[in-house]
Amino acid sequence: MTLFIEDGAPVIVQGMTGHQGMTHTARMLNAGTNIVGGVNPRKAGTTVPFDLADGTTADITVYGTCQEAREATGAKASVVFVPPRFAKSAVVEAIEAGIKLIVVITEGIPVADSAYFVALAREHGARIIGPNCPGLVTFGSEPDAKGVNLGIIPDGIVPRGPLGLVSKSGTLTYQLMGELSDFGFTAALGAGGDPIVGTTLLEAVQAFNEDDNTKAVVMIGEIGGGAEQEVAEWAKDHMTKPLVAYIAGFTAPEGKQMGHAGAIVSGGKGTAKEKKEALEAVGIRVGRTPGQTAEIMREIMAAHGIR
Amino acid sequence: MDLYEHQARELLEEAGIPTPRAIYAQNSHDVAEATKQIGFPCVIKAQVKIGHRGQAGGVKLAHDLDEAILASEQLFPMTIHGHKVNGVLVAEAKNIIHEYYVSISVDRTSRDYDVLATANGGTEVEEIAKAHPESVKRLHIDPLEDFDFAAAKHMAEQIGFYHADGDQAADILLKMWQAFHNTDATLVEINPLAKVGDPDDESSKSLCALDAKISLDDNAAYRHDGWKRFVDPTEGDPLENKARALGLHYVHLDGQVGIIGNGAGLVMSSLDAVAGAGETQGTDVKPANFLDIGGGASAAVMAESLEIVLSDTKVRSVFINVYGGITSCEEVANGILEAIGSMDNIRPIVVRFDGNKAKEGLRILADANNPHIQVAQTMEEAAATAAELAANAMKGDAR
Repeated sequence: MTLFIEDGAPVIVQGMTGHQGMTHTARMLNAGTNIVGGVNPRKAGTTVPFDLADGTTADITVYGTCQEAREATGAKASVVFVPPRFAKSAVVEAIEAGIKLIVVITEGIPVADSAYFVALAREHGARIIGPNCPGLVTFGSEPDAKGVNLGIIPDGIVPRGPLGLVSKSGTLTYQLMGELSDFGFTAALGAGGDPIVGTTLLEAVQAFNEDDNTKAVVMIGEIGGGAEQEVAEWAKDHMTKPLVAYIAGFTAPEGKQMGHAGAIVSGGKGTAKEKKEALEAVGIRVGRTPGQTAEIMREIMAAHGIR
Repeated sequence: MDLYEHQARELLEEAGIPTPRAIYAQNSHDVAEATKQIGFPCVIKAQVKIGHRGQAGGVKLAHDLDEAILASEQLFPMTIHGHKVNGVLVAEAKNIIHEYYVSISVDRTSRDYDVLATANGGTEVEEIAKAHPESVKRLHIDPLEDFDFAAAKHMAEQIGFYHADGDQAADILLKMWQAFHNTDATLVEINPLAKVGDPDDESSKSLCALDAKISLDDNAAYRHDGWKRFVDPTEGDPLENKARALGLHYVHLDGQVGIIGNGAGLVMSSLDAVAGAGETQGTDVKPANFLDIGGGASAAVMAESLEIVLSDTKVRSVFINVYGGITSCEEVANGILEAIGSMDNIRPIVVRFDGNKAKEGLRILADANNPHIQVAQTMEEAAATAAELAANAMKGDAR
């Protein structure tokens, strides 16, 4: 088990037959993810061929519902590429079908819809990652095991290694993975940039702290809300591994949404400065730039003898 | 989207929450007309999307027509905390017996809805919380819960609407929730929710929403016809409006380095890097904007983005920072060349590519051999170069 999912777990894709779904299902398959089905009631019973990089073709069956897909394939996780206005019913369907890990890539879902499905997932003991996130990539719990690539995180940036990464931002995830590619990662999780997300920075940090293969954690936060401060508060007494953070948005003005729905300073709350100070107050070092954050991580790795 | 008070009042009224009679007016003539219906005394309230309006002199009481005209002539040209006054609300003046505060908002931490309430209303809730922390009640509504009258009644009892009719308080809470839920709001705040009436006549007393603040969820606009009735196309920054029409996330700031990147986090980070470089170099150069081209942007999107950034005349240099995940740096390179091929008044552009098709993108730029374009290896280096170029251009301007 690496961060919320078994190596090689069977995965379905909701919204697979759309443009985004097709592009990223091909990518996930090429990254070695065990995609076992798609869901689309209008195309139930058909198969979609995906040409893989190794010259073979993967024929993926389309099911009418998540329930049918899970019963036929034993799917443990679903990746959701469904457009915002249909996302709530797609996620509710996955929860009710008994799927325990649902990765929601879709950007632009009304916050009331997210609040609803996140609460419903909690009631059903399911975990949601996202929405408005790049997904989850794991690198296998054993040296030879294949991990999973759920979402849109590019494959091939980094090898397996001792670092865990959690981030509110997609491209900054790739940036930091790139900066620390010589070390490698156990997993990288995009928590998402919306005000309400299914897996918070704290839940991801806690999971990395429990994971035996993860030796140190990088956290990328940004303005808005108090998710970073929650991590600081918890880490103070419970974190047993080195944690290095980066926060984006020091120059963001009050009351302006900076791209992500959740990235907004309002009423003087949720500033980058406030987050940085909360983290530093409990001894967590915060980099000024992604490059400097990677440097701090290198220093800490060297000091702890982690390779 | 944040609403003006008069718009928020409209939504509360539609939800059946008692509000004073009021008319929105955009000039003194309309104010005079409005007073004929509202009567005297009346309150003339500047419409601005910012708090502390009262302390800033944005609310005036008028006892007759002359006072009303004078008040409106003072209010219309006002700018309150940097916000230009957008009309006034002419409202019936109520005799206030007691003021409460109630709000419903999205709680990002508990991932449900927060009901904040206190019997010490009137001022900003942060100040109430500071002065009387024990008086502020914080309750929650679960997203899966059916919040009905019984639940509202129970909540009203927990809040303790002393001196007010419990059933009416519960009815207002329920209607606030309905307004919040049905309009896809992220905040519905009534402050004050006042007990009004004749102090000597018990039967005249009732609760009334004297001021309100509502924020709506932009992601849910599609369920509400885009909130067309609340959108003012003349409001806001022209460049931001133009970018929005093209589907781009652009925020106009007032520095000198234009910034374009892919992904909200990377763009924010680029802004910080430029501001940091300006500080280190001692030039006070700052980012001119935030522009996120999003994932998988085409050459056309890149070209449009560059045109918007360069149409800001304060911009002295541009920093383009792309980490290709889905986005292809090749497309971005083509977009840059396309845009500068058809434009005059180009300013120096510093490009940093990494990830998907970065080598191909850099090759395209190298082959074009355009004197306006420079390439940097890292984002830190690119930010420093862009800041330096902007500072040099400003020195040139000063000469």
